[in-house]
This record gives sequence, structure tokens and C-alpha cells, in this order.
Amino acid sequence: MTLTASPGAVVVAHGVGSRQDLPLPFALAVAGAATALVVSFVALAVLWREPRLDGAHAGRVLPPFAQSVLGSRTTRLVLAVLGALATAYVLLSLVLGVDDADNPVPFVVYVLLWVGLVPLSVLLGPVWRRLNPIRSAHRAVLALARLDPREGVLALPAGLGYWPAAAGLLAFTWLELVAPDNATLPVLRLAVALYVGLQLVAGLLFGARWFDRGDAFEVWSGLFGRLSVLGRRADGRWVVRSPLAGLDALEPAPGLTATVAVMLGTTAYDGASSSPRWFTLVQSSAHPVLLRTLGLLAVVALVGGLFADGTALAGRLGGVDPADLPGQFAHSLVPVALGYVVAHYWSLFVLEGQNAVLHLSDPLGTGADLLGVAGRAPDTTLLRPGLVAGVQVVAIVGGHVLGVVLAHDRAVRLFAGRRAVLGQLPLLGLMVAYTCGGLALLFSG
Amino acid sequence: MRSSLVLTLAAALVLAAGCADAGSDATPAARPPGSAAPSGVVRTLAIGVRGRTVTPAPAQVTLEPGQTLRLVVTSDHDDEVHAHGFDVERPLVAGRPTTLDLRDAPPGRYEVETHEPALSLLVVLVP
Repeated sequence: MTLTASPGAVVVAHGVGSRQDLPLPFALAVAGAATALVVSFVALAVLWREPRLDGAHAGRVLPPFAQSVLGSRTTRLVLAVLGALATAYVLLSLVLGVDDADNPVPFVVYVLLWVGLVPLSVLLGPVWRRLNPIRSAHRAVLALARLDPREGVLALPAGLGYWPAAAGLLAFTWLELVAPDNATLPVLRLAVALYVGLQLVAGLLFGARWFDRGDAFEVWSGLFGRLSVLGRRADGRWVVRSPLAGLDALEPAPGLTATVAVMLGTTAYDGASSSPRWFTLVQSSAHPVLLRTLGLLAVVALVGGLFADGTALAGRLGGVDPADLPGQFAHSLVPVALGYVVAHYWSLFVLEGQNAVLHLSDPLGTGADLLGVAGRAPDTTLLRPGLVAGVQVVAIVGGHVLGVVLAHDRAVRLFAGRRAVLGQLPLLGLMVAYTCGGLALLFSG
Repeated sequence: MRSSLVLTLAAALVLAAGCADAGSDATPAARPPGSAAPSGVVRTLAIGVRGRTVTPAPAQVTLEPGQTLRLVVTSDHDDEVHAHGFDVERPLVAGRPTTLDLRDAPPGRYEVETHEPALSLLVVLVP
């Protein structure tokens, strides 16, 4: 991500993410790819031959006390108020702040919200659902009008599924990776206004259920939140469960595959677009924004198309209707996407996340130091090149391994007997292709 | 299934074409100025900007510890040039060469860019 200064802006010494990671050492990339191959082979040949994951019923039920605390109205209210207060603080900078490189808003949007939601959700579950200020505002408005927030004017169409979230995630990554002047206040104001307006209107039309699958950030947080040890089962009970069980319980729905393809494809595009070859081609063309947009769409289409074709082929070989299969295996791409996100954003999050806090201390550019961090510089202990490279390889390979295990278990359940092994070959090829692709992007820089 | 296969192939072709196209004019570009150069040495790289075209085509340049990379940038229009990571920024006056000395940045890859229009001139790799 390179967020450049707007033409004519005052001297902008830093964009968000002006530093990129060093390319991965070749030996490390090869070792990572080899590990992925071996682990996949073992998973296929030796690991369990019967389905073992039963996400819908898995997990250790928490004691009644914990159940009541986690599910209480007070907990919900506290989280909603926290989300609203943080939003109000950032809105101050958005509306009244100075449009320069020290304004915290781009750091909050592209680093704390977008990237920060990932570790938060992996640790605690789908937290954005509780923090989402738009959901809270919608609820508050309807409560004041003495209406039930769950009720909308229209019924939510069943075929809509995750499609709005897929479109929303694509739109956000377009803003992050392609839109000109995306770190400037006028652009951010327009983007926030559009997003909030659309979400509120859709919430009023369809009721609060809209946000479950219609809000890109709730879905982003919700899908990664499936990996959390803390989860809530379909029967409403809070449980401690394995990350694999949480993902196994993810129900296929329209647009789910597209959503996961967007999550995977956009990080891949971000990696590819920093190569001198690509930006030379793009920046010298007459229509750089159009070309970048096409590049982003092409990578998403490639990632999603490979997945759709690979799973459909697996269905044919496994003797199952190929049409259902992409949705049945979409959950296995979530850990792969997590691996990409960690590999890609680790150093950005460490560095610019600290810068975000430093800038938040002076929200209006008046020289204030509300958080008492003035004069501090970001700590770079976690940015040592060797450490970063290690984190990247472990993330990509680890995400792939979890994906293979999830896909393996689902395949054993879906495909009968001897066809199970045959049916898994395309899936395995797919996973290895994604891993090698991810490592190659990091290796070539 | 068939239509999605066609889509996948189309996407792959677009990407491959993009890379091949970019590759053809990027190959003769600035060779990394002496990756094996001894430290303390100043390496000079002249860069020209005409409209939206950068010559030589942007490439990745490795800056060894202790080495200085001297960029001499000449643009056909008024602009400013900014080296991320090195915190160096200079105004560019049309037709007049401007010199930037780059040294000592934390490890990473950094873009050197102009602002009007936003062009990347090269990527400096600090190991």
C-alpha cells in the first residue's frame, strides 16, 4: 500500500505504509514451499480418514456464569458505547482535522480498523458486530421511534447472502489500493459518508439482520472471528472450541466464495502491484486508475476462478454435484487469507499502528498530546528483517496447512470411499498453488 | 463451470500480458548500481521524467550499508521528488537537474516518487 500525497498538498513527509518489506530470502521461500508440500501430502495420505470435525456441535460449553456475562445486555451496551466513543473521537479528526500527513484518520481506517480487526477477531471472535457504530446508531434510532430494530420494511432476499459484503470488501480494497489521494480528508470524508449512508438505508430497509452479511467490516471480522477459541454455537451457547471447529461450522451461503476470493485476491494484488514492472506499466499509461482497477479485478477473478474450477473438478472426481462445491470448501480459504494478511500487513501494522496512536494524540493538529505520547518514536524491535521474513513464511505455510486440514475433513465427509482421495487432488493442487503464489509474491517483492 | 473457466483464463491472460508488456521495457533499465560496490562509495543514477514517462524505466536498486546513492533527477515540468524512508524531499524545476543523496535508512524497500503526477522513479532496497 502506498498512499501518496495529493497534488498541491503541503509537504507530506510520510504516507501510510511508505516502507515495504524486504523480499523473502530465496532459501526461506523454498523451505516454506517444501514444508507446505510435505505437510499437504501427509494430510492427504496419513491423517484422518473419517470426518472428525463437527463444528455445529463441537466445543466445551462455558460455565453458566460466563454464559450470562458474555450474553448480557450490559456487556453488549459497554461494547457498543466503546465503539461509539472511539468513532466519535476519530470523526472529530475527519470533520475538523487538518488535511496533512499527521491527520490520524488514514491510519485509523487503513491500519487500526482494516488490519487491526483481524488479530482482534482471531482472538475474541466477531467483535465488530458488537462495536459497529452503524449497527448501534440504527438500533438507537429505531428504539427512539419505538420500533423493533430487527424489523425492516422489506424482507432480506434469500439469494443476497454475502454478496453485499463481497462488493463492500472489493470497494474498500479499491479505495485502499487504487483510489487516487486515498489518504486525504476530502476522499476519506466522501468514502465514510457513502458507506455510512448506504449501510443505514439498507439497515432501515431490511432490519438489523442486514448488517450480519451486508456490512463488509462485520463479515471481515466475522470470518476471521471463526478462528477464535471463544465461539457461540448455533444453539446459542458460548463454547471454547478449536479454530477448525469454528470454521467448520460456517454455513455455505450465496456470495461466500466470492467474499473469500476478494479477501485472498486483494492482498495478492497488493503484493504484486509493488513490483517495478507493474507500476512502470501502469503509471506511464494514459489511464493509470483504470489499469489498476482492472489489475485488482483480474487478480480477484483469477484467485476465485481457480477456486471455483478446482472445487468443481474435485466434485466431478469425487462423484458429487460440482455446483455446490465452491461453497462447501469456501471455509478452508479463510485461514489461507489470514496467512496472506499476516504476511502482508505484519510490518505495516507494527509500524503504522504505532504511528496511528502517536497521531491520535493530536486529533485536530493543534499540538495537543491527549494520550501523553508526544516525542515518542515507533519501536522497531518487531521489524527486524529476519523476524519479519520468519513471520511471513510461518503465516503463509501455517494458513495453508489449516486450509488443507479443513478441506480434507470436508472432502472425506462429502466424497464416498475410494473417490475421496481422487477428489482431493485438485484441492491439494489449489492449496499448493496459492501457497507458492503467496511466497513468490513475497520473494520477488 | 465452463464460463468460469473462461473467466479464469481471461484473467490469467490479462495479468500475463501486463507482466510481459512491462517486462519488455523494464529489462534494459538501470542496473542496480553496483550491488558489490565497496562501502563509502557514491553511486550516481541520472533519471529523466517526460510527462508520465520515467527514463530509465523504474527498477529496484540495492543500497549497501555505508553506500550513498546520488540521484540526479531532471523533469520536463515543475514538480517535487520525494524519497520515502530517507526523508528527503526536493522541489524540481523544469529542465534543471536536481540532486538527492540517499544514505542510511532502516532496512526495507522504499519508493522514490514525484507528486505531480504521482510517478515512482525507482525502488531502493536497503538490506
